[in-house]
Amino acid sequence: MDTTITLIMLFISAALINNYVLHYFVGICSFLGVSRRVDMAFGMGCAVTFVMAIAAFLDWTLTYYILRPGAPLPAFVWRSLSGNPQASVDLSVLSYIVYIFVIAAAVQFVEMYIRKFFPALYRAFGVYLPLITTNCAILFACLEIMKHLQDSTALWSLPEALTLAVAGGLGYCLAICLMAGIREELDLCDVPKPLKGPGISLIIAGIMAMAFMGFTGVEKGLTTAITILLPK
Amino acid sequence: MSETNTKSGSYIGQAWLVILLSLAFGAALAGVQTSLSGRIAQNKQAETYSVIPQLAPGADESKTAEFILTGKDGKEARVYQALASDGSPKGWVVPASGQGFGDVIELLIGLSPDLSTITGLYVLNQKETPGLGDYVTGQDFRDRFKGRPTDKPIVIVKSEPQADNEVRAITGATISSESVSGIVNTALANLQEPIAQRSGPGAANLPAPGPATE
Amino acid sequence: MAEEGPTALERFINGILPENPVYRQLLGMCPVLAVTNGVKPALTMAGATAFVLICANVVTSLIRGLLKPHLRILVFTLTIATFVTIADKFLAAYVYDMSKQLGPYVPLIIVNCIIIARCEVCASKQGVWTAFADGVGMSIGFALALLSIATVREILGSGTWFKLHVLPASWPGWGIMVLPPGAFLTLGILLGTAEWFGMRRRRAGKGQ
Repeated sequence: MDTTITLIMLFISAALINNYVLHYFVGICSFLGVSRRVDMAFGMGCAVTFVMAIAAFLDWTLTYYILRPGAPLPAFVWRSLSGNPQASVDLSVLSYIVYIFVIAAAVQFVEMYIRKFFPALYRAFGVYLPLITTNCAILFACLEIMKHLQDSTALWSLPEALTLAVAGGLGYCLAICLMAGIREELDLCDVPKPLKGPGISLIIAGIMAMAFMGFTGVEKGLTTAITILLPK
Repeated sequence: MSETNTKSGSYIGQAWLVILLSLAFGAALAGVQTSLSGRIAQNKQAETYSVIPQLAPGADESKTAEFILTGKDGKEARVYQALASDGSPKGWVVPASGQGFGDVIELLIGLSPDLSTITGLYVLNQKETPGLGDYVTGQDFRDRFKGRPTDKPIVIVKSEPQADNEVRAITGATISSESVSGIVNTALANLQEPIAQRSGPGAANLPAPGPATE
Repeated sequence: MAEEGPTALERFINGILPENPVYRQLLGMCPVLAVTNGVKPALTMAGATAFVLICANVVTSLIRGLLKPHLRILVFTLTIATFVTIADKFLAAYVYDMSKQLGPYVPLIIVNCIIIARCEVCASKQGVWTAFADGVGMSIGFALALLSIATVREILGSGTWFKLHVLPASWPGWGIMVLPPGAFLTLGILLGTAEWFGMRRRRAGKGQ
């Protein structure tokens, strides 16, 4: 039960309370340049969530077994090679390079999948699909997972990493769908000329961020409520 | 462009640049890692260790012993024993963290050598509301925990404390204050007995750790 | 002139204001919003980005003759990721408290659109000196953008500039400025201001 509660709170935290776009400022470039149509934005959000999930799975596995300080695989190899049972090796310096290539591979994989099974969607996306590689949100999720795999007394397990990634992706999807919906309406409004385009989008994002700030503090009460409500 | 018929050949031909670059960059990174990892590990350690003399008066931070104990909740936890230069125990420092109002709050709790009183508190990380909740980092609030006994849970009150286990909240930031006391209570309930067992007479100390090799 | 493109000096000057990466090209917004709640973290981030941008530009320019079309993004990414790792390690070693405050935003320089865009547009096509000048110009422009937003946010939010008090203690401190909404609002309004100046200049140019 404890793990379920942790996962639920992790999900709500990453999706709503610490929303990736409105609290951590990642994924802004695509957030601002998002199509003015809600269905395109939703498709983009789902694609990003899918890539995040794959990237998080691969990155957790690679980091847990190879890249973190004290990882088992490099230690095993190094000790067999050097004959010193106490030798340790730290490959964490390669983390960022590995992560970005994993993300590029995940995007490539998703691109091939969409091209094969949803050709119309693939054509609609155009150049934005490969650009998901440079979406800060995915790398940010991987960095969060890496952060929680540093201290050997408090390591995150795979379910926690996947929950974070999927929740972050869904939070991002929510934010860009809201933004796309607002921008659909904005075409009919009389925006001052200097603010047209990115200016007004950012001001609206600021107001949205204020709204999402209302979720602060929800975590404590919700944890208590869920603990009481969930059957033991 | 007619690359399709020479695809496999051209890929191998193009790969040599990537391989060469990877080797060159790998060597550069290995060099940076070897020269800087010592400093970085020192910085990380100093973050906690430099606070230890504040929480355990008379301690020599370089003599600190580090233990990994299993708490009552079954999870592993790291605790530090503060020692003076001559090796005599000066207190314990327990890192603890938990959910605050905004985000996770990370603390260091200082305990007396016999684990009977709290000697101090230090906030490592917090994301509370600026101007309200982030007063938990202030000396004023942290000093309210000094000298509190550890046998009863700390209770946050909004008026003047009546009992010795009551602490006054920060005005306008009750939830942040209660989060801090909650973290302290949970950590003490979880680790007080394991630490007491560890520090019994004759318990061997682990050698003081060098640069983090874990 | 046709295959060489703009000269080094032109690249340098362009990067500062006319083609400012944040205000004109709207690239690299993530760090601009994230680290500008104080002037000190903003300048640290500007320094780190400058290091990565200049080094990546120079290295890419040196190997530009060997780059094949399929692999060039891969090579850019590899180069940028390496330099970002180096920058991150240096920050953690020498300014640990800043490194902790900037947190995950330093590795996020890898996906900062500015650097890949400059490698693609300039460094892979022009000589080392031009690429270097372009990198320096863009870095200065980026630093100016970061500084402008950080100044507004820090002064209005806590009454300090680079941690020195510039407003009287009676200033209440607009907390919203150092929180996420303040970042969005500041950048939106400053973008609007920059656009307004640009529009005035264009109208004045047309009027002559």
